[in-house]
Amino acid sequence: MEPRNRISSKALKVWRVSGAINAAICWVITIAILVVTILFDWPYWAIGAAGLISAAVTYISVFLFPSMKWKRWRYDVREKEIEIQSGLFIIKRTLVPMIRVQHVETNQGPLLRKYQLASVEISTAATTHEIPALELTEADELRFYISKMASVEEDDV
Amino acid sequence: MFEPKRLHPVAVLSGILQTLKEAIIPLVVLLFLGGSSGKGIQFIIFGVIFFFLIVFSFLSWLRLTYWVEDGELRIESGVFVRKKRYIRFERIHSIDVSEGILQRIFGLAQLKIETAGSNGGKPEAELTAITKQESNEIIAIFNEVKKAGKRKLDSDHVNEADTGKELAKEDETDSASVVFKQTFPQLFLMAATSGGIGVVLSGAAAFLSQFDELIPFKKISAEAQQFIQSGILLMILMVLLLFIVAYLVATARIVLMYAYFTAEKVGEELIISRGLLEKRQLTIPLKKIQGIKIAENLIRQPLGYASVYLEYAGGSASDRDTVNILLFPLVKKEQLKEKINQFVPGYELQTELKGLPKRSYIRYFFRQLFIIIPIVAAASWILWPWGLASFALIPIAAVWAYLKFREVGWNINGNQLQLRTRIVSKQTYIFQKSRLQVFDRRVSYFQRRKQLSTIAAIVKSGAGPREGKLVDLEQKDAEFMNDWFSYSEHKKHP
Repeated sequence: MEPRNRISSKALKVWRVSGAINAAICWVITIAILVVTILFDWPYWAIGAAGLISAAVTYISVFLFPSMKWKRWRYDVREKEIEIQSGLFIIKRTLVPMIRVQHVETNQGPLLRKYQLASVEISTAATTHEIPALELTEADELRFYISKMASVEEDDV
Repeated sequence: MFEPKRLHPVAVLSGILQTLKEAIIPLVVLLFLGGSSGKGIQFIIFGVIFFFLIVFSFLSWLRLTYWVEDGELRIESGVFVRKKRYIRFERIHSIDVSEGILQRIFGLAQLKIETAGSNGGKPEAELTAITKQESNEIIAIFNEVKKAGKRKLDSDHVNEADTGKELAKEDETDSASVVFKQTFPQLFLMAATSGGIGVVLSGAAAFLSQFDELIPFKKISAEAQQFIQSGILLMILMVLLLFIVAYLVATARIVLMYAYFTAEKVGEELIISRGLLEKRQLTIPLKKIQGIKIAENLIRQPLGYASVYLEYAGGSASDRDTVNILLFPLVKKEQLKEKINQFVPGYELQTELKGLPKRSYIRYFFRQLFIIIPIVAAASWILWPWGLASFALIPIAAVWAYLKFREVGWNINGNQLQLRTRIVSKQTYIFQKSRLQVFDRRVSYFQRRKQLSTIAAIVKSGAGPREGKLVDLEQKDAEFMNDWFSYSEHKKHP
């Protein structure tokens, strides 16, 4: 039985945009190589390789990885524990008991803010876990809920 | 004690040495970066730095005072910025006493005071050089306060349930203490089988590379070439000799560090002391122990010996010794279960472990092959035809993979999880459910096809996480462990 909740479908857009930024950097480098090749008579295979790599990066980081990641991402917040599933090729499922949660916070970078999303970060004494993109209201509710449930019991580390 | 006092003047010296020790790498870099052009300027710079160091250490010493008032340890310090630290004795978790070489010469002690707040960073407060009498007094006050706190807790208990019997029982366990002493033959065996030679060799390599400019290597290698011509045998002997010396140095270092090793359980605390030249004493509250690790390296395992480590949530991350705490440096395997139970009650070593399914062996073998095949290919190609001998590595990899595969096992006993695996040495973790922070399962595409999973149980150790991980477990077993850790009642796997 997989965790039930998916993250916001807008996360897909956010990841595509940030993937596109990465890809754009690759293309800028490719263009730079193109200019240098023309100016200094470099061999043409360099520009071919750079173009191929950039095309691959564009496909992977804009199309392939975001949809794979989004499909895998699930979470469940129950009364006594949080379960998170993530991963691209290796699917990882993490179980965090509520009594181990030390604090929760929501974060919102510029990209997330544009789409009215926020990420929820859950910290235990030793580790941190993130739910990367939820609707802002949902993220706030989750933060309230987790911190309320977490403070019910206090344990020694 | 109740009047503001300064540290012993030796603190000035120890402050200078401490700073020099921390700054040794930049200083050496500075020394060699300058090259040979401006030696004079370099000496002036060093002189100025050294002068300020002395002045600063002296001023720090002058400005640091400590005293006990109103149940607080009060320390005021700081040359430019005054810092007042008032620490309530109730808030102190532990006080570590150590005696470095300097302190031993002058009959002094160094105190490190840890509170909950000093988690991860440096200790809350440090008194680098005080007389033994002062140190004993502070510790006496600390113990007094702690006992008073405990009595109060106990009396609260009595009011609730009024069971005088329980109180008496508690007192009994309080006074009963168990002691573990490392005998000298065991100490030498432990030092000789520690594998500490790696540390010394890498240290020597770093040392040589640092002093590259100091020793005329070029000249040496020219001479060495003649030397090689005069006899390869002699060369091999030299290398062998170097190894033996490094080995002896490593062994001696560990003997010095762990001489007079004693672990004592007093009430709810473990007191561990060790060291010949530099004495260290650590006090560890039992309730801060997060788990236990038993390690058997390749030499000790056939001899039937193991080492036991504590995963401990206190301590400062900068101090390597408090992150990896040895509870028993060397102990006979037959005694493990009994000893662990005596010192860390609640931790029961299990011998019946459930292993891996046969089908996961092939994955262990492949993982070794991925490392071996490039080596074999490269060797065969470059050193044709002699490089073909490297194919012998493949059966060796198969055997090593089998050894790793065979050691993996797990056991769940009540609220205790035991995980055993082999990295190079064989490692067994014992965790309590109440101390586990997080549990996770990982399944890759290939694992899913074979119904296998990887699991990791994570506890807190020092300031960070420590992970006990088993690779390629039966998927059903991984789910079983996950359900064991889950705090929800309703969910069950179909």
